[in-house]
Amino acid sequence: MVKTLPKEEVSISELVDRPWITIVWDDPVNLMNYVTHVLIKLFGFSKERAHELMMQVHNEGRAVVSSGTREEMERDVQRLHEHGLWATLQRDDKI
Amino acid sequence: MSNFEKVGEGYSLDLTLDEAQILINLVEQLLELLGEGDFFHHYDSSDPLAQLLAMPSEIVTPDDPVLLRLLPNAYADPEAASDFRRYTEPQLRGAKQKNLRLVREQLTVLVDENLGGVIEDIEADVWLKALNDLRIALSIRLEISETSFETFELLPDEDPQKPVYAVYFWLGWLQENLLELLL
Repeated sequence: MVKTLPKEEVSISELVDRPWITIVWDDPVNLMNYVTHVLIKLFGFSKERAHELMMQVHNEGRAVVSSGTREEMERDVQRLHEHGLWATLQRDDKI
Repeated sequence: MSNFEKVGEGYSLDLTLDEAQILINLVEQLLELLGEGDFFHHYDSSDPLAQLLAMPSEIVTPDDPVLLRLLPNAYADPEAASDFRRYTEPQLRGAKQKNLRLVREQLTVLVDENLGGVIEDIEADVWLKALNDLRIALSIRLEISETSFETFELLPDEDPQKPVYAVYFWLGWLQENLLELLL
């Protein structure tokens, strides 16, 4: 038997709409120019935007580089791993 | 001193025999760690559907810290990470092996002739990824951190780690050299 949750505790739109994100994490090995190069190549960022994200990884330890469906983020993580960047995906925790 | 150069639309790499031998040894060590040949047989599968799709029923997270860094978890959650690994790790491993094999093939020509020289037809993308994976592998063994260059400079010449650090920083220089031609 299943009890129905009170309406205000169920938010379908939240579950459906909350996007997934791909995070690149800092490591002491990947060269700054290499990270910039990979971000331009995989995501088509401008040189400036890729540099900005690379600096965010370097200074803050991580940066969100893409968002979308779970399947899309899995593909992005896989491509980043092929290039040796340390990346993970998760649900966006900002609502 | 080794150097990448832009030649028309492509790139070349000039290596001494010593440099080519160091590189080929590192490539072979990493290929050995990743597993040569048809790696699917390394993965045991008892699930009939997985067998049909030539897919392992489970792939264990690597114990070796180098393999774990080269084939990392995609999720913080262990169950999601394990599922993702099952579907994607063979492909990721295969992509890394393919790059390393191509690099080895090009280096073999120099080493077999017992000469240094110029490798033409460098595929920048393949070499960048292979050099990066070699640097990652060495970095784990050396426990590289942000201050490792200072550590290296302070090491006495007779320290057995010193040449390993020297190779690590040389690979970084080589990769940077190729990147500067691309960016």
